[in-house]
Amino acid sequence: MGMTVGGSEEYNSEINVTPMVDVMLVLLIIFMIVTPLLQQGVSVNLPRDMISPDEDPDIAKDTSVIIAIPDNNNFYIGKEQYPLTALGEKVKKLMENKTPDKRIVYIKSGVDVDYGRVVDAIKTIRKQDIDKIGLVADRKKGEKTQG
Amino acid sequence: MGMSTGSSKGAVPSINVTPLIDVLLVLLIIFMVITPLKPARFEAKIPAEPKDQPQVDVKPNPLTLVVNIDKSTKKVTLNNADAGDTSDASALTAKLKEIFGQRESNGVFREGTNEVEKTIFIKSSPVVKYGEVVRVIDAAKSAGATPIGLQVDSLE
Repeated sequence: MGMTVGGSEEYNSEINVTPMVDVMLVLLIIFMIVTPLLQQGVSVNLPRDMISPDEDPDIAKDTSVIIAIPDNNNFYIGKEQYPLTALGEKVKKLMENKTPDKRIVYIKSGVDVDYGRVVDAIKTIRKQDIDKIGLVADRKKGEKTQG
Repeated sequence: MGMSTGSSKGAVPSINVTPLIDVLLVLLIIFMVITPLKPARFEAKIPAEPKDQPQVDVKPNPLTLVVNIDKSTKKVTLNNADAGDTSDASALTAKLKEIFGQRESNGVFREGTNEVEKTIFIKSSPVVKYGEVVRVIDAAKSAGATPIGLQVDSLE
């Protein structure tokens, strides 16, 4: 009489929560692992509460080129710092084998950076035959995408 | 009677898992909230590198809209007409909406296409903060301007 549950005349009305706990634990662990991975590159004080930027899932992709400008003196691609002079070569290398419609460089610049520094970066980018940039900004919460 | 539980005799050895589930659910929700939002960006066009060859005379396009940001007063001008300042760019949005609305009803199209001409150029002094420029871009974009071009040559 291996799994007999309950007495001879009683029923057990408890829900078996063990699988649920298992699932929860697994989800929790997945989120704990994924969260640090989602934050790539250096942290930048992005423009916030913008009304109309378009969502672009490509920004989060590893293959896309993102130049981060956290302050007036530094340019980063990923987590590595590059001087302005070396930026062009790096962008060129990363942009190899990309189809024309994917040739876009994202710029993550802090709000307190001088526009001139951003222009410096843009001038370097356009030397690599790129005519499109994406200015990364945070969308205001609750705003719907405009058609 | 190997696993029988809840028989008339003896205590029932069951762990109360409810607090455990509570804690786990809360942790799960915390992590879901922390997970960043979908990234978003403004797409902007940049001009090609100027060539050394002699300048070709290009016929000026009367539909060109240039938004300029003054370096000292932070005033925004649209084709030299006043359009608010960087701290409140809603005046620019309103002006652009009006212009685009007129163009739509008059059927002013981009040359060779049947799209309404909504090209806009943003010109700003290099000493203006990036945040202010982005605010102006946001205002232009929310009025429906596309494509947005950034002028990077000969800024003062």
